[in-house]
Amino acid sequence: MSVFSLSVRSALPLVVLLLAVPGRAQPFPAFDPERIFMQGDADLDGRLSLDEYREFLRRVPRMQEAGIEPFFRRSDADRDGFLSLAEYRRSFPSRPGGRRPAEPKSKPEAEVSGPVTPAQEQFFETKIRPVLAAHCGSCHSGMVEKPKGGLRLDTREGMRVGGDSGQVIVPGRPDESLLIRAIRHRDDELQMPPKQKLSDMVIADFEAWVKMGAPDPRTGPAAAPHATIDPAKAREFWSFRVPVKSAPPMVNRTAWPRGEIDSFLLAALEARGLSPVGDASRPRLLRRVTFDLTGLPPTLEELDAFLADDTPEAFAKTVDRLLASPRFGERWARHWLDVARYAESSGKTNFAYPQAWRYRDWAISSFNVDKPYDQFVREQIAGDLLPAADDRQRADQIIATGFLALGSKAHDAENRGQFLLDVVDDQIEATTRAFLGLTVACARCHDHKLDPVSQRDYYALSGIFRSTQTCSGTLAGVFPNFNASPLFELPAGANLPSAVPPLSSGQRTAMEERLATLVSERNAIPPGEANRDRVRRTDSMLSTLRLRLLVDRPGGTPRTFAMAVRERDEAVDSPLYVRGELEQPGAVVPRGLIGVFGDSASTPVTTGSGRRELAEWLASPSNPLTARVMVNRVWLHLFGRGLVPTPDNFGSAGVRPDHPELLDTLAVDFMQDGWSVKRLIRRIVLSHAYGLDSAHDPRNFEADPDNALVWRMSKRRLEAEAVRDTLLSVGGQLDVTPPVGSAVARMGEGLALFVRVEGLDDQDTHRSVYLPVVRDRVPEMFAMFDFADPSLVTGERATTTGPAQALYFMNGPLVIRQSGALAERVNAINADEAGRIAAACRLALARMPTSVERDRAVAFLREFSEQTKGADSQRGAWTAFCQALLSSAEFRYLD
Amino acid sequence: MNPQSLTRRGLLWSVAAGGGCLALAGLPSVASGTDPKRSPLAPKVPHIPARAKRVIFLCMNGAPSHVDTFDYKPELALADGKTSSRPGRIPGAKLMASPWKFRQHGAAGLWISELFPEVARHADELCVIRSLHTDLPAHPEACLMLHTGSSQFIRPSLGAWILYGLGSETDDLPGFIALRPSGRNGGAQNFGSAFLPAACQATRIGSEGQPMAQARISNIKNPRLGTNAQRLQLDLVQAMNRDLVERERAHPGADGVIESFELAFRMQGRLPRVMDLTGESAEMRTLYGLDDPAAADFGHQCLLARRFIEAGVRFVELAQGDWDQHRGLRAGHLRNARAVDRPIAGLLADLRVRGLLDETLVVWGGEFGRTPHGQNADGRDHNNKGFAVWLAGGGVKPGIAYGQTDELGYEAVENPMHVHDLHATILHLLGLDHERLTHRHAGRDMRLTDVKGVVHTAILA
Repeated sequence: MSVFSLSVRSALPLVVLLLAVPGRAQPFPAFDPERIFMQGDADLDGRLSLDEYREFLRRVPRMQEAGIEPFFRRSDADRDGFLSLAEYRRSFPSRPGGRRPAEPKSKPEAEVSGPVTPAQEQFFETKIRPVLAAHCGSCHSGMVEKPKGGLRLDTREGMRVGGDSGQVIVPGRPDESLLIRAIRHRDDELQMPPKQKLSDMVIADFEAWVKMGAPDPRTGPAAAPHATIDPAKAREFWSFRVPVKSAPPMVNRTAWPRGEIDSFLLAALEARGLSPVGDASRPRLLRRVTFDLTGLPPTLEELDAFLADDTPEAFAKTVDRLLASPRFGERWARHWLDVARYAESSGKTNFAYPQAWRYRDWAISSFNVDKPYDQFVREQIAGDLLPAADDRQRADQIIATGFLALGSKAHDAENRGQFLLDVVDDQIEATTRAFLGLTVACARCHDHKLDPVSQRDYYALSGIFRSTQTCSGTLAGVFPNFNASPLFELPAGANLPSAVPPLSSGQRTAMEERLATLVSERNAIPPGEANRDRVRRTDSMLSTLRLRLLVDRPGGTPRTFAMAVRERDEAVDSPLYVRGELEQPGAVVPRGLIGVFGDSASTPVTTGSGRRELAEWLASPSNPLTARVMVNRVWLHLFGRGLVPTPDNFGSAGVRPDHPELLDTLAVDFMQDGWSVKRLIRRIVLSHAYGLDSAHDPRNFEADPDNALVWRMSKRRLEAEAVRDTLLSVGGQLDVTPPVGSAVARMGEGLALFVRVEGLDDQDTHRSVYLPVVRDRVPEMFAMFDFADPSLVTGERATTTGPAQALYFMNGPLVIRQSGALAERVNAINADEAGRIAAACRLALARMPTSVERDRAVAFLREFSEQTKGADSQRGAWTAFCQALLSSAEFRYLD
Repeated sequence: MNPQSLTRRGLLWSVAAGGGCLALAGLPSVASGTDPKRSPLAPKVPHIPARAKRVIFLCMNGAPSHVDTFDYKPELALADGKTSSRPGRIPGAKLMASPWKFRQHGAAGLWISELFPEVARHADELCVIRSLHTDLPAHPEACLMLHTGSSQFIRPSLGAWILYGLGSETDDLPGFIALRPSGRNGGAQNFGSAFLPAACQATRIGSEGQPMAQARISNIKNPRLGTNAQRLQLDLVQAMNRDLVERERAHPGADGVIESFELAFRMQGRLPRVMDLTGESAEMRTLYGLDDPAAADFGHQCLLARRFIEAGVRFVELAQGDWDQHRGLRAGHLRNARAVDRPIAGLLADLRVRGLLDETLVVWGGEFGRTPHGQNADGRDHNNKGFAVWLAGGGVKPGIAYGQTDELGYEAVENPMHVHDLHATILHLLGLDHERLTHRHAGRDMRLTDVKGVVHTAILA
């Protein structure tokens, strides 16, 4: 049978593997049973029901209907009525690759390190070890700072793992062993030792030794294979040392500091002979803190209440009110979503991720309930493995792992191995940058050029993620998706809302009829290349329709799913891919954490993927980076500049902290205060420094133009979301009710090219955090105001200013409409013209107009309505006036 | 006094700023510092006689392989499949001959690979620099280095420095335009103004992944207000903005907003006309490759670039990617070369015919080169130690190859030119002394070239 020649692009590749035909050996990727399994998993729940299985097998020519069910029952080892991926795999034991997840061939360590017999030991000690010491050690041992080619031959580990060129010995096969080739001196390019060839007898000994399996009795500490990194020395780098709290320094102006933060800042200013500027006006402070904590301007009532309250606690009360507002989580989760490279599509070919929104909502709720940050971290890496009190908590924790599943992916990659490695790479990149501020993904192809992260560390982490199944969804039936995966079905007891409404019985019947029609149409399509597109279209429609029907529960709420991760059936270690090349698997690296962190990261991974251990280490108080990185992110969002100005890089390519003691003290306090983000924010905004004015000061500016010393509050431009939300808010049209789902969720599985994204800023009046985020299709308004690229971990957005933004305020439909709404709003107020002008100014800028501004406004209204004579000229003038307020630099900046 | 100084920009700004006589008070040179009342984009006199007035930067994102394009390595062809044991090489990696043939072109006999048959016809215009090198072999760092001279700190873009140094020659278009800029590898930071006035940053048109023909600046026309009514409204906005700057004593953000409104107001009339290609003849469209689907997008960019340059834009950056072929080099480089070859050739020819090439510096290159050894059977890895860019027009010696890498193409060995040197040389061609083009920030006179950079005078015409 020729089915094996079908490519994965063919319409029904599942046929290939369903028939237990002993076939030619398949190369690694095309044979992945999971790929085929997903063709049958119509509801994306990660298991095959009998119906799915039957449907799946029906498409196989000559398959006997009667044989299906008995075969299914036999394969269903745990008798739960479903075939898991593992059961499915086991049902075809004769197939190459059928038992294990498709893995590139790599040498298991056991082959190298099996038990050594006394005779072998003697052979090694007398014939091998002395030669290694005498002829190799001066370049390839711990005696030299940088072993040549990253290769150490003075330890068993070094011998086993090899160097930059990969493994140097292939046990049992001298001819394939690089070491033997080198000592034979037959290869012009590879001759070791370089100056003097070893004697033929010694070479024969080495050949014999490799042939017997290279038994190596050496013990002792396993040296890092790439001894270019000295962990003890590397740990002296500031960010790798555990943070310690410092006593606040003495200051001259003892009355100025309100707490430790202020003491640290003031002491540094005084040391340079500088002093902070005066305090911000109260309206300015209220506007600042309201935006910082909720992303929205203060309302007129809030402004009045705050200005009327002259008690010393007025500001603290305001801060507590804002922290308790549900708007707080929406604001701060959006900061996190930048870091989490959150999006609702895959990018590239752009498959929709209709369940991604649950992660967004999880993040919002986490900030709102002030989930301790260590727990917040733990849940995102290993939420599926954590204990839960009930189904609701279990579901939430599963949703949290969406962090690992929602990165950008090339679903159309034909090379399955490459796809899986790229997913893992995204997970390593996101995890290490988001939580540690480290660029570990740089070590995919070689040791990190700047930081003490080895390629071995990378593949130790890689093993953890390769032992993890990434449940990103997407339907195998939609072309060109060669890398579908299941979703994680959430426990029904969690009672989570569904983005799609239940089907009425009428709808259901109609859909079932449509499905039947499609099936017969599909069966009627004659085979052949000419009909390929028709087949693809029909299959796509069939699979989405099937999914819709299977997700629905007649008479109940629809089944709920999340993007998430779960443990694979079998944990695997990853080989080290030489130069990052899939075709060059080197020695296997045991799953583990990053070596440089020493004891705190030395928990061995014994069972399972190791995600649990990774999560615990990331969330541990002994991790020197986690708290620092988060404290710095928070500081950045409140002051416009991080204490470490490179928030996603705490390595040597990053910039060192401006105030190391303050950063460390904040980090320690943060951990000791139960990792509470809300209390951290509260401490910072109640500092004297936060309440400073943002006014210019020539002397301070000359000394410190970047305001690294915080001699004032930095002026910050509002982000895209805050601009839009505020426009809607001042126009009285912002809908603060959180919507269920998102536009992508309502569209469902398929290509995200069909989700409407442009123009929503004007029509969907929910907060911006709820608008769809489709990769490579960021709406123009958001891109214009520097929205973060949703494929990248982004701790700090750019701030640009340009004519496109000016045009947006001058001519943009949303601005014009909201200006009209604001005009109507203030004209409905029972006040004279001056009072209405003041109201508009207070709504837009949270302050009263000056008398000059008021007179100017009066003149403008008169002149404008004269110039645009007509029935509507008054309204037009007011709209134009309100638009001018919203267009002003002051509106766009937090001063 | 240069009559060009009497642009509307200079006048409008000065009047708006309440200093009507300023525009007539003569041109300050770059070195005389910044007058806050003056538009940062007012034309300025260069430090030294300028050979070029403007720049078109053809940015090849992802790093094209020098050994497959403009750096001919016969030794590499002979060593195909061998491992290199030279110091510093990755052991075990196999050298890979270029899949493309090289031939000599033009009177000067420049070696160019068959990837660029059309550009090769203009060999006698090219100044190929084969000895570039940069600090780090990683895209984000190298891309930022190429654009801003720093991979670590937020620094102004090359285009921003040039605009800052020379001012703008147009009142109604941005002085620095980036077409379809990539959001990756530093994103907007590559086109930013950092501590320079906000008006120096690039105006970005379109985005990566979006066809150039669809890219436009939105909101270019007000649905209701006529020009006079809008001007009246804008005067109110600007009065508030100037009040703010006054109140705060200094507000660079608000300064940027003020500039952007004036420019935007004038752009409304001009930009749609400049971006409208319907008036271009069929011959012109063919010249730029617009009728070849594989080349149409970059052709559109090149044609726009010429129109912007003609209209007085100082610096235009075009983007083509992705050249990052760790695998699939044959198909990937071929696709990329096809996309840019005819458009670039068309651009060079058109600039020449219009008499613009002599005062327009065209720069072609990526953030680094690629390794002479192969990767993944049909790919090449990053190589920062040696790579090639070429310059054309604008006062460079035409028809020369400058500098050399070693015999395999690993490392610049003859006349090595760091990216800082390239920047210094580009500034020099524009009449700017890279050591005098400074901006006081953080207690230092900051430069594009930091404390480095050497002008390579050997390539100056």
